Amino acid sequence: MSGLAHFIERQGIPTVVVSLIREHTVRMRPPRALHVPFQFGRPFGVPGAPDFQRRVLTAALRLLERCDGPLLEDFPEPAPEALEGASDDQQGWACPVNFSGPTFDPSSPEAYRQRLVQEILLLRPWCEESVRRQKGRRLDGLTSLSPEQIADHLVSYLHDQRIPSFVTGEPMARAIKLCADDLKHFYYQAALARPGRATGIAVDNWFFGDTAAGKLHIDLRKQLKTMDDPALRRVGEMNLVPHPMRHHVTE
Amino acid sequence: MVYMRDMGEAAQSRILGQELPDYGVTECRAGPPLSQRRIAIVTTSGLHKRADKSFSLGAGEYRIIPDDADANDLIMSHISSNFDRTGFQQDLNVVFPIERLRELAADVTIGSIASYHYAFMGATPPDAHQAVARDIAKLFMKDKVDGVVLAGV
Repeated sequence: MSGLAHFIERQGIPTVVVSLIREHTVRMRPPRALHVPFQFGRPFGVPGAPDFQRRVLTAALRLLERCDGPLLEDFPEPAPEALEGASDDQQGWACPVNFSGPTFDPSSPEAYRQRLVQEILLLRPWCEESVRRQKGRRLDGLTSLSPEQIADHLVSYLHDQRIPSFVTGEPMARAIKLCADDLKHFYYQAALARPGRATGIAVDNWFFGDTAAGKLHIDLRKQLKTMDDPALRRVGEMNLVPHPMRHHVTE
Repeated sequence: MVYMRDMGEAAQSRILGQELPDYGVTECRAGPPLSQRRIAIVTTSGLHKRADKSFSLGAGEYRIIPDDADANDLIMSHISSNFDRTGFQQDLNVVFPIERLRELAADVTIGSIASYHYAFMGATPPDAHQAVARDIAKLFMKDKVDGVVLAGV
């Protein structure tokens, strides 16, 4: 981000960076930067808070008028808790579907598939409600596969790593990542159907702690970390289970 | 919440200790008052139109987001799992504040909005962006852009 600011400004266009990692910005010294004390993934603050977002954006834009760089200013307001969502103990948000039920045998591909299909079936009406509430906005679409097809492919891979890539033109590491993200986006869209604000951590804990799809992410991570292909290992180590959710992983 | 403090010591130290290039000091370019500027957004959130190819790791590539792109058509294929996506999932403006920019143009806080915005995927070595950033700067000039807001995730 700061590198891009250097490159673009050197071509004659004034730039300002909205920075989430102050330490990186201090070291990279872009011409102008506004550090914001928000969560990773939320450079303009909180969802559904246009006034707050506008204050952040305006503070960044105002820096464009200054030429005494490299300059780094701090946005003075934290993200308002009341707008950011429920507290970390998950109060204020609950998934619309309760998945508590008999356990299944994850060593059986059929049992795994069946559990996933059951979850998808229960979540689909909530996903559609969420799409309706968001005026047609869908979060999935990285692949052209349905959630059921993705579940089928990922379970197949988990039990037999010799199968060919299931996303046209993509190597297996990329196919797994795109499919895993698409499946996750379906679940998250359903989870966000309920009125009220949901925190990332509450939804993440629900996904990785309570759902078979979250378990599938964790199991894939474990499998991929053992592979010889460095691209597969990297996806396993870095790209399936976020650091704050690693407490759901039992090695 | 996905704040730095939630990342665990090892991850924090990896992020903070990350090797970064030294590009020295870049002279700030002057411009007209904000109320006369034409503004573009550059995001490194891995945002793109549904029909676009998803981002590839380390490629230093970008995607074009026309100013009139349908917000419902924008999806995210950033490879990292270590940032919050629920903000973006509830409100595009959390990463790509296009509606806020339109409001600021309407009340003349800014002059106008660029015809095209650009998206990259972070988690890419900065040097990989050097050549395409020059191309984008030329496109900005053609579009008379004189202010760019760059936001990461």
